[in-house]
Amino acid sequence: MQSNSIYKVPNGKLLKIFLDYNGKNKRINTVRITGDFFAYPEEAIEIIENNLKKMILEKNLLFSKISSVIKENNIEFIGLNAEGLTKGILMCLK
Amino acid sequence: MNEKWRLLLTGASTAATNMSIDRAVLVANSEGLVPPTVRFYEWKPPAISIGYFQGLEEEVDLVNCKKLDVDYVRRITGGGAVFHEHELTYSIVISESHPEIPKNIMDSYGRICGAIIKGLKNLNIESQYKPINDILTNGKKISGNAQTRKMKTVLQHGTVLMDVDVEKMFSILKVPNEKIKDKLIADVKDRVTSIKHVINEEISFAKVAESMKNGFEEEFNVELELGVLTDTERDLTKKFEKEYFSNKNWNNKR
Repeated sequence: MQSNSIYKVPNGKLLKIFLDYNGKNKRINTVRITGDFFAYPEEAIEIIENNLKKMILEKNLLFSKISSVIKENNIEFIGLNAEGLTKGILMCLK
Repeated sequence: MNEKWRLLLTGASTAATNMSIDRAVLVANSEGLVPPTVRFYEWKPPAISIGYFQGLEEEVDLVNCKKLDVDYVRRITGGGAVFHEHELTYSIVISESHPEIPKNIMDSYGRICGAIIKGLKNLNIESQYKPINDILTNGKKISGNAQTRKMKTVLQHGTVLMDVDVEKMFSILKVPNEKIKDKLIADVKDRVTSIKHVINEEISFAKVAESMKNGFEEEFNVELELGVLTDTERDLTKKFEKEYFSNKNWNNKR
């Protein structure tokens, strides 16, 4: 199934997520994260997108996965954070 | 004696050339081939630049771009879509380890925006830095800025609005909901201003550039010496135009 969301991160930027997921087992096929935020290094978003493939669309699991990818890759966000990203992705389900 | 930095006045170029020059200077500076560099430039034809992480088709009406002869390009910096028409665009390229550049990214935005604020003050315009990446005058945005760091080098570029045509801007930018387009236009008119609106007169690019040059010199206590692109930078510019900024794979990346 395909869906998308637009989410203004509190005190941050506008996040636009495009999600393709399996409606039965609620796992991510692909996710595309776009928006007017800043991320360092620039590859950060592609790294996160790749790490989210096959993930179950569940708040705690997503949040901890995103947080650990951010930590492992020394990703620095401005105008975005793991919480906002989790929320933006899950908003695609509504 | 003050440290000498290079000043580039490259005039008006296409979107692809403008973004290629900024990247070429970034690479040349990271290799120690050129000093810290401040550049002022314009866009011909007018152009829309989108942030590195934005979706091209979600942000830009490509049909209207073609109709109105507006160029488009994806930047290497994050941030939002910007319509470049009546403005001075600046870029600064400097080593991350330069003592004048704060290590913290947000602090360095503030520091570099300090040069623009001093430049505006030279035009009798009071303004303040508004995190994350704006400069406001009377509560309205007059400058937007975007920074990236690659190869231990900082590139920050940004706009200083000399005039603004919100209707034209919205004919090129896509809005999520056409029904509220009029309200969005009214909102942006309330939130964005320009040098012309503030001081109530037309002012030349050269005068704005001179004020901004002085702003950089005052903020960083340096002397900006007029220079030109080196042969290496010219070659890199051509290479980056082809590989990135006029290349569909790059511009349509997201």
